[in-house]
Amino acid sequence: MIALALISPIFGVWLANLINYHEPLDVAADLINQAANRTILNDTRYQMNWTPFIDYTVPGLPDWAGYIVSAFIGLAIYLVLYMALVGRRGRVKRTS
Amino acid sequence: MHIPDGYLDPISAGVTWAIMLAYGYYAYRHSELQKYMELVLSLAAAIFVAQMLNWPIPGGTSLHMVGGALAAILVGPFNAFFVLLLVLLVQALVFHDGGITTLGANVINMGVIAPLVGYAAYKALRPRVGVFWSAFVAGWASITVAGTAAGLEIGLSPWFPYGWTISVPAMAGWHALLGLVEGAITGFVVLYLSKRAPEYVRL
Repeated sequence: MIALALISPIFGVWLANLINYHEPLDVAADLINQAANRTILNDTRYQMNWTPFIDYTVPGLPDWAGYIVSAFIGLAIYLVLYMALVGRRGRVKRTS
Repeated sequence: MHIPDGYLDPISAGVTWAIMLAYGYYAYRHSELQKYMELVLSLAAAIFVAQMLNWPIPGGTSLHMVGGALAAILVGPFNAFFVLLLVLLVQALVFHDGGITTLGANVINMGVIAPLVGYAAYKALRPRVGVFWSAFVAGWASITVAGTAAGLEIGLSPWFPYGWTISVPAMAGWHALLGLVEGAITGFVVLYLSKRAPEYVRL
């Protein structure tokens, strides 16, 4: 997982920029808006944002470094959950 | 495949949230979370990182792995719901990848439909075509059907009733093509685990 996190900017940043990354969902939304001649589907994520890590970026860091740090932030959250849930269960078993 | 905020009208958002909560309760009652807790959390971490790898198709589009079929094959579809729920919650709350109003729809697509389709395909095909090809088809079918469902959800906007006739073919077509990557990854991982660590493969 650490290796995947370290190489993730190759896929998530470099190759994404190379082909002007857009998912099929973006393609479908653009087609609907074009057919309707107005904006039906409007991505509001930047208008109402609550996190400094939006789109796996970290303020002050280049995109590739932010992508790696984001991967480790995510992994850290699961590690904390693991220690809290699995570790707590282990402690309960030992004391009973 | 993560539907952002602003793509679903309030009624669709409310209905998808209600379906997510109802299925979540059902899945909790039928899951074995205590038994599979370590694996559920480990898989959530692995799928979170795997979803950060976007696979580009030159001249077209790109996608990331979903992992619904893989999780369902390894821990069953009801435990897989919680794997994908954990992934989608972290993505939405920490990285704003996928919206809050659309969390219900995203969980339905990636945490309900993808695991159920993948699980059913793998279970039906494994006796006939072996581990790799059944897992390959499971991965391909899971992302294709989940992508089609996402197309249906964003196309059912009451402000443009014919939207689904545009969004469903676009989503189904691209996901059927890009699902080959999901199928290949699912096939290789399940084949590897079946040989090296069969205790981690539930089916």
